[in-house]
Amino acid sequence: MASQLLPLELVDKCVGSRIWVVMKSEKEFSGTLVGFDDYVNMVLEDVTEYEPTGEQNRLSKILLNGNNICMLIPGGDGPSAS
Amino acid sequence: MEATTATTTTEPASAPSSDPSSFLSEIIGGPIVVKLNSGVEYRGELSSVDGYMNIALEKTEEYVAGRLRNRYGDVFIRGNNGLPPLPYLTPGC
Amino acid sequence: MTDPDNTTTSQISEPLDLVHLSLDERVFVKLRGDRELRGRLHAYDSHCNMVLGDVEETIYVVNDDEEDESVQTIKKHSEMLFVRGDSVVLVSPLVQS
Repeated sequence: MASQLLPLELVDKCVGSRIWVVMKSEKEFSGTLVGFDDYVNMVLEDVTEYEPTGEQNRLSKILLNGNNICMLIPGGDGPSAS
Repeated sequence: MEATTATTTTEPASAPSSDPSSFLSEIIGGPIVVKLNSGVEYRGELSSVDGYMNIALEKTEEYVAGRLRNRYGDVFIRGNNGLPPLPYLTPGC
Repeated sequence: MTDPDNTTTSQISEPLDLVHLSLDERVFVKLRGDRELRGRLHAYDSHCNMVLGDVEETIYVVNDDEEDESVQTIKKHSEMLFVRGDSVVLVSPLVQS
């Protein structure tokens, strides 16, 4: 039986690559994962913030509060790419 | 308390190279933008942060719907021990 | 957050120190639900529970009429007030002019 991949191990594998973050609210972020902590607060680079209105904001580097995250999609580059 | 930055610098263990707490210590003193879930933004100089993600800013400007509404010399912004107002924080431009 | 090279000019090393420095001073407190308080800070704790004296509370009520989205303000005065920390958004010292 192969050992299962823990959720945080999956997140750890994403460090250095692009991820797509879907928040509990109708908001999404895509960016390069620089680091994270036990609460899955994340540092992201070259970020696009997708507002529910369809508006997009570019942010060079952010600390994203892990409290409001719903879902992480490794390799994802935001709603437009899918 | 659901979302905080790690408070200790004493556990290098397997922490990623730039985890949230080291990111925060890097940007202390610099200009930052704090965006609350309500959409309100605070732009100022980051004086300090603690493990609850409470934040102290200097020379702060409050923007509501993109409009400057208020200025505060010093301001304490409450983190999320309980109810979380903070979706993200970014170094200002 | 430890601050090993504590080079800050003020004695603020963590955010709550700013609140501590405001003890017995007049402060501005912004609360959830479009409420603001201006009063003298008598006491606080790490949750941001606070006791304020001689408080002016301002409540902003947005009229949700489709035509005019006017904002009505209600002011209340209290001699002494306890604020539960979880409704606090920000605290700032009020520079008396």
